[in-house]
Amino acid sequence: MENLPILSIMALFMGAFLNSLVGRRSRAAGNAVVLIAMGAAFCMMAALVPAVFFGGQTICYWLGGWAPDGGWAYGIGLEVDALSLFFGLIVTIAVLVSGIYSFTYMKEDDSQVNFYTLFLMLSGSVLGLVLSGDLFNVFVMVEIMTFSAVALTAFRNEYEGALEGAFKYLVVGSIGSTCILVGTILVYANLHTLNMAQIAALAPANMNMTMVAAFAFLFVGFATKAFLFPFQPLAADAHAVAPASISLMISGVLTKCGVYGIIRLCYGLFQNMDERSVGYLVTGFGMVTMFICVTMAFNQHNFKRLLAFHSISQVGYVITAIGAGTAMGLSAGLFHAVNHTLFKGLLFLVAGAVQHQSGSLDLDDLGGLSKNMPRTTVLFLIGAASISGLPPFNGFASKWMIYQALFEKAAQSGDFFYVLACLTALITSVLTLASFIKVAQSVFFGQRRAKYAQVKESPLGMRLPMWVLAALCALLGIFYRAFAAGFLNPAAGAALGVDAYIANALTGESVLTEPVSYWAIGSWNPLVWLILLVLATCAVALVSVTNKPRVREACAEGSVSQSAESVVPVTMDGVPAGGSASESVPPEEAKYEPFFSGEESEYSQVGGSDLFWGFKENCRKYFAFWHKWHSGVVNDYALYAVVCLAAVLLYCAAFVK
Amino acid sequence: MTFNYICAFAFIVLGLYCIVAKHNLFKIVIGMSVVDYGANLLIVSIGATNGGTAPIYTAGEIGAGTVFVDPIPQALTLTSIVIGACVTAMALSLVIKLYQQYGTLDTREIRRLHG
Repeated sequence: MENLPILSIMALFMGAFLNSLVGRRSRAAGNAVVLIAMGAAFCMMAALVPAVFFGGQTICYWLGGWAPDGGWAYGIGLEVDALSLFFGLIVTIAVLVSGIYSFTYMKEDDSQVNFYTLFLMLSGSVLGLVLSGDLFNVFVMVEIMTFSAVALTAFRNEYEGALEGAFKYLVVGSIGSTCILVGTILVYANLHTLNMAQIAALAPANMNMTMVAAFAFLFVGFATKAFLFPFQPLAADAHAVAPASISLMISGVLTKCGVYGIIRLCYGLFQNMDERSVGYLVTGFGMVTMFICVTMAFNQHNFKRLLAFHSISQVGYVITAIGAGTAMGLSAGLFHAVNHTLFKGLLFLVAGAVQHQSGSLDLDDLGGLSKNMPRTTVLFLIGAASISGLPPFNGFASKWMIYQALFEKAAQSGDFFYVLACLTALITSVLTLASFIKVAQSVFFGQRRAKYAQVKESPLGMRLPMWVLAALCALLGIFYRAFAAGFLNPAAGAALGVDAYIANALTGESVLTEPVSYWAIGSWNPLVWLILLVLATCAVALVSVTNKPRVREACAEGSVSQSAESVVPVTMDGVPAGGSASESVPPEEAKYEPFFSGEESEYSQVGGSDLFWGFKENCRKYFAFWHKWHSGVVNDYALYAVVCLAAVLLYCAAFVK
Repeated sequence: MTFNYICAFAFIVLGLYCIVAKHNLFKIVIGMSVVDYGANLLIVSIGATNGGTAPIYTAGEIGAGTVFVDPIPQALTLTSIVIGACVTAMALSLVIKLYQQYGTLDTREIRRLHG
């Protein structure tokens, strides 16, 4: 039992080496090695579930047998409590899905041996990071992770912008890694230990200016790894150019390392989460991230780049919930973290399937693919419904919990800041849904160009991993109560029960952690919502089938009047555009023509990707500002990182005790 | 010792300045290395003891008067140097490829991904 954590990390790293040995001879043997390594890591993580989640144990493994002596940890240890294992499970499941998808997706690429070697190194390092009980080990794993992620981003280096995205990621990512290193060494200078349990035992009593600086450095370092604002341009660049299975890894696994780091830092090592200033810091980062990234997504014309901004926006939700500092906030954050991996992974894999089959990711160019890829379209809709928080999928359940946690926190503390956070979360959710309607319209529905008439459905090897993710999305949404009781509450309990973590690691006694409990408004029954959704869909379908013109009117009246005015596309001469299509319809209807014209009418001026043209036009100054802000020059991104570091250092020096 | 700390942070700041202000890809890589050196100097300085010797002893040799430096930061520095070298190698290989593809080393012209 104690050996399983180290063996699971070793399985992935050994797989990387074996793959480069046998994979050169035969790809099939290489794939088998990769599959076995991934499967073994997952099984070992799963084998720990009963003891850690249901039994409340903490598994400690000391490398080389250097167990702690007299309450002082000398050796390097792996400390697996429910929080670590929770992230370990997320990581291994995402790795397994991504790997199986890659077998089909990467089939036509050359030097696949290197791909899988890097892939397994990435997986191993991430698993090592979340299971590690040693702060310096965390830094080493972060470096291996950044390193292999950069190499994988640039893997298809003939692809436009791949090298560029990788270089930016490397430069700013290494600033983040250096922050973690400096933070680690400042902690060591004060406490003379690198063991996380030991730090947790000593840090709260030994806070001084240097420790506050260490906290700020570590926080910024992990924020870089989670791609929080202002680091989101890196994620956007890296996602847009990386292979889809690597996009899944970056969004589903790498950002989780940042999230894990921030949870461990604030709840475990420094235990200063109940301080008001730290709560503001964490929640503030989350709020800004989720709002700015979701609005940035409106401007995007590349499918995966758009998904990347949404991905970071959802990480913002997780961080916001964690910043609430309550048991429920932490549970909600953890729930959204796992959901984020599932639905974002699904959406990236769908984008990969679209790219694989049609050869394009351009939202202005694609369209009408639902006829060619009906199954992929269904998968996309499940993913889109999950991320937008539509019942009965998992996104709804976790967002619901986040709203409740923030509201509860606001009510308890009487703090307007958390009311603001709750409102931001709600608005962001609406914008997310709007944005995914646009994607659905511009990729799967709307007009199809002639060149995409021959696009085929994605192969089964790619659809199977997607179905696994989609099924998990639905299952977690429907059985969220069981999931919360079995997994979320023990994990949140482990994060909050620092004393048990310390005692387990330093004294060797087995102290059990208690799952947290909180009162959640569980009055909604997912099945009722499901029935409601089905009924509503049937009603809409019925109306649209029986009486077409009336639907148009109803929709026209229902649309927001403010944006409806500015929706009319105007050509250079000031004449409403729409061409010959608008001549045949009354002028009142003409302005909605771009939205409701099927492929039968002429090609409209406002494409599917510009569905929110009016909204964008009204807020064009805001959008122009952020467009300019994401300049694409690596110096600017480094500047944002440095300014962020300086700001957090100043903030912590001024407010964090 | 204070001088060491000041130098270490000066190195880090200088390196960050180089990354932020210089538009040449090679200079950015140099800046990254300088940041690394600063961090390494900081680690070694933290472990240093005035008049201390190398921490290589057998069990019986350590007495009350033995002064030696903290071995852990040195081990950390070695690891950190190795990682720094890897990052530099990786960055340089990307620079070579970028130059082949874009025909320039100016970051202001390498911005196909933006907005």
